[in-house]
Amino acid sequence: MANRSGTAQRPNGQSQGKICQFKLVLLGESAVGKSSLVLRFVKGQFHEYQESTIGAAFLTQTICLDDTTVKFEIWDTAGQERYHSLAPMYYRGAQAAIVVYDITNQDTFGRAKTWVKELQRQASPNIVIALAGNKQDLANKRMVEYEEAQTYAEENGLLFMETSAKTAMNVNDIFLAIAKKLPKNEQNTGQGGSVQGRRLTEGNTEPKTGANCCK
Amino acid sequence: MTVGTTLPLLKDPQMQFGATTFFAKQHKGDTCGSNGLPLTPNSIIIVGRAQTLKTINCPYLCQYLDFIRGKHERTIVVSQYCGTPLAELIEKRRFEPEEIVQIAYQILEGLKVLHGRKIVHRTLSNDNILLQSSGDVKLFNYGLFHMSKFGSLVSFPVFQVLYTAPEVFLNGINRLSSDPKCDIWSLGVCLAELALNKVLWSSLKLGQKIRKILSMLQVNGSILEKIAREHNSYEQYLEMPEDLKEIIEECLNVLPSHRPTCDLLLKKPCFQQFKAKEGEGFRKICPPFEIFTIHELYHWWQLAGGDVLLELKKQGLIRSSPPILSLPSLVLIEGVVLGQDRNPATLYDPRIAQMPLDALYQRFAHIPFPVFYPLIHSKSEIIADADPPPYDATALPLVIKEKDPEYQLHRVILLRRLLHGYPFTKDFIVEQSAKDIPPLLRGEIWAALLNIQADYETTYTRIDKVTHTTTDRQIEVDIPRCHQYNELLSSADGHKKLKRILKAWVYQNSQYVYWQGLDSLTAPFLYLNFNDEGKAFACLSAFVPKFLHNFFLKDNSVVIEEYLCKFSQLIAFHDPDLANHLHEINFYPQLFAIPWFLTLFSHVFPLYKILHLWDRLLLCDSSFPIHIGLSVLTQLRDRLLTSGFNECILLFSDLPEVDIEKCVLLSTSTYQNTPRSVTSREHENGKFHKKDELDIVGLKLEELKKERCPRISANDVVNFVRNRPNDVLLIDIRNPTMYSRCSVMGSINIPFSSVSFSDNIIDNIGLHSAALKSKGHKVVVVIGDADTDLETFPTFLLQCNISKVCVLHGGFNRLLSVTPTVLTSNNAM
Ligand SMILES: Nc1nc2c(ncn2[C@@H]2O[C@H](COP(=O)(O)OP(=O)(O)OP(=O)(O)O)[C@@H](O)[C@H]2O)c(=O)[nH]1
Ligand SMILES: [Mg+2]
Repeated sequence: MANRSGTAQRPNGQSQGKICQFKLVLLGESAVGKSSLVLRFVKGQFHEYQESTIGAAFLTQTICLDDTTVKFEIWDTAGQERYHSLAPMYYRGAQAAIVVYDITNQDTFGRAKTWVKELQRQASPNIVIALAGNKQDLANKRMVEYEEAQTYAEENGLLFMETSAKTAMNVNDIFLAIAKKLPKNEQNTGQGGSVQGRRLTEGNTEPKTGANCCK
Repeated sequence: MTVGTTLPLLKDPQMQFGATTFFAKQHKGDTCGSNGLPLTPNSIIIVGRAQTLKTINCPYLCQYLDFIRGKHERTIVVSQYCGTPLAELIEKRRFEPEEIVQIAYQILEGLKVLHGRKIVHRTLSNDNILLQSSGDVKLFNYGLFHMSKFGSLVSFPVFQVLYTAPEVFLNGINRLSSDPKCDIWSLGVCLAELALNKVLWSSLKLGQKIRKILSMLQVNGSILEKIAREHNSYEQYLEMPEDLKEIIEECLNVLPSHRPTCDLLLKKPCFQQFKAKEGEGFRKICPPFEIFTIHELYHWWQLAGGDVLLELKKQGLIRSSPPILSLPSLVLIEGVVLGQDRNPATLYDPRIAQMPLDALYQRFAHIPFPVFYPLIHSKSEIIADADPPPYDATALPLVIKEKDPEYQLHRVILLRRLLHGYPFTKDFIVEQSAKDIPPLLRGEIWAALLNIQADYETTYTRIDKVTHTTTDRQIEVDIPRCHQYNELLSSADGHKKLKRILKAWVYQNSQYVYWQGLDSLTAPFLYLNFNDEGKAFACLSAFVPKFLHNFFLKDNSVVIEEYLCKFSQLIAFHDPDLANHLHEINFYPQLFAIPWFLTLFSHVFPLYKILHLWDRLLLCDSSFPIHIGLSVLTQLRDRLLTSGFNECILLFSDLPEVDIEKCVLLSTSTYQNTPRSVTSREHENGKFHKKDELDIVGLKLEELKKERCPRISANDVVNFVRNRPNDVLLIDIRNPTMYSRCSVMGSINIPFSSVSFSDNIIDNIGLHSAALKSKGHKVVVVIGDADTDLETFPTFLLQCNISKVCVLHGGFNRLLSVTPTVLTSNNAM
């Protein structure tokens, strides 16, 4: 815990390079491995019996990109359809999203497409969306072809990778690819508490709208 | 038996137990199943399957007590063990034909119970039939074939060569099922040994024994006669009474289909005498009350320091060999291992380690006899004075109390008695549960606290738990992620049971839907009632309406939002500093508390913590969870107060260690010190919260969300004025004219218009600020009317860090109708 809040409070007066903060949200059907991807990215771990997510979980991770330090504030959401009404609360104001599906389950790919559509309609217009075909280690039970997903991603302007939280394949890479694609202008450079506070306020003030979405 | 000592009571010869141990089969190579999840270790599957054996309670069967997993797939079985194996008596003493008939009868009764539960013994032999000093017999180790899933989960064959029916060999010993008829054959062999008083074919080698059994298939006449001839016992054969001979010969029929069942054999005339006798004894409508059970004795024994694993090591049943001895000579790159001697420990070890009870006897030697007969209803002073002072452990921490054998003896004796009288004794059970709940009886006590009725099983049986529904996928992906560190819940049987209960719940509650998290909510009930799915289901079904009314509606947003608002208000009520800080950094409960309340912390804490938390929850109402939430925040208060948004939210994404006993204490204290209406909700279950016009009704969510301080009902205010005037500070914020005309007794007047709200300085309110500053624990009730602003003033007090601020719902006018009045007026009205 102590370490992590340490990272979170990285002083912004660092001499070299700038620091950018981005809000990133993970979406996708339940049990496709969203929490597992985050856990792998943030702590380098994998839990076979990863607990299901209720509501959402929040984690942060910082990566270095050339001369820029990119700090991700990650919202890992619950996958069950019913929690859908909460999702806008988390993706509102997000600069990036990873939509995850499970390559061994065709239905989860369908659900991923629905999420992409929703993001394109409702989220910030400049949001960077990545599509992750997770559980690549189970490729022998594949139900979603690589090419199919890639074509879909190209058509919709999404980043795309097949990942495995279990073997760590492409996990850091997909976050890195997102970081590269994100605009690193002044607006996103973290200036301590005030910016943080303001942005989060924007992100959280409209739970009412969220509640309406479920009908 | 002399009054004063309880040892003779405890030293009942049948109250003894022992342990056996074996290794479960290890998974080879691939450790992942088709779903990508690791394969469940076979020992866990065994422990899950074995649980049901604990519920078998028959005078002719040793009771199973516990199943423990050791290292490297070691499985340890603890069971009642008393008496002498018949095998040790054959050829050493004579068995009279009448005695053998009685033994046959008792074995058959035991087998009947097993077969009725679809359990095949498969290893019945004179080694595991135990003769008691009373002359009765008990079967031992009858569950091995069942728990090992017909032998498939262990790497040794599960049968006793000599006693095994020929068809078992013919069908292949690895077949995954077994006909109970093989037990009848084994019974025939056992009885033959007794009747001929000969250990059969003792000199033959293993292969020869099998050949011998198979040769029985060729016998045309009586197999018993052939056996007798081969053992030079033809005379005994001839002398054998006809009825006994008939039983043995029918058992030893080579065709399983022609071999009789237990029921059929029990119809024999020679058994009728025993049946009649039993009719008088324990086949009554209600089983007799046992002073204590062997399960309880085992529990106390463990608390008094008994350790099965240690005992097995001491007695040489578990031996560790240096790892170097088990190194293989060659390992191929694909992982094939060559030249590794088979560890002899992976074979079946028939030895039984008797568990020594002396330490327990010593520990309990001084316990006076009356402890076993606690008086429940009333105690005259004379008796109460004569009694030894009760064993007092109230002041000890909960974990210590739960580990104190003597305290648990008292608790278990008392509470099982109370449970025996349930539902009549419900009030006593509640009263005792408030002290603490003995872990051994927790499942039953919870069921009693939840008012579970006796017919729960029928209800459960009738529910469709099989038909496929759209919810199935979600349930299936959730179960392997639900409390899997727990052996029972991660076992194959645990998964099946949890799935059935969840499906039953969804089926039964068509107004609700399955929300992720319901799995975690069910887990404690399944864990405590692993052998009684129906009861687990009944508990869940009673729990949800009481504590989570409408939380599982398809659209539950208003219910949850209201709940979270009340949570925020409760924080403001008890801890303004914290509430103000969280408000400032925009740290809303929506972001972290949904899993807390939706699952009542069962998704947040490990099982052992949930149990202690719910022990208290079950005694309270549906507002208790927000008090728990507050107690969690209180424990993390210092960190929260010094942290910004990100650090706070990180803290909850990965909740640090929370002391549950502290939680229980804190939340109980705020629960008791909060007027009931402060936490009342529109969406709480009317069945448990009756309301009248002086309560808070009709408060809209939009309004509620604007208010940072809670409301209080007229009922609660009246109660304060009449009964506890010193615990309340009533602030009337109407204008002075109205106040002087008529006001609540003891209230002070701080006209709304007189206060400047520009800074959060309490002195701004003038004269009365001193009263507020020194108010201590008093509840501050703000009383206004339709013309006054009822948000600004209480929020101002909150921002000045004044605690326990609430607003009278309905305003001053609500009190006009109260009789006898709580108002004072200056001019006649
Ligand atoms: N084989 C394999 N299993 C994975 C992988 N990622 C996740 N899993 C497993 O899939 C299951 C679900 O993973 P989670 O991370 O809990 O899924 P989720 O998307 O967060 O699910 P919700 O919280 O219900 O929305 C877990 O049992 C993981 O162990 C992967 O890359 N390979
Ligand atoms: Mg998750």
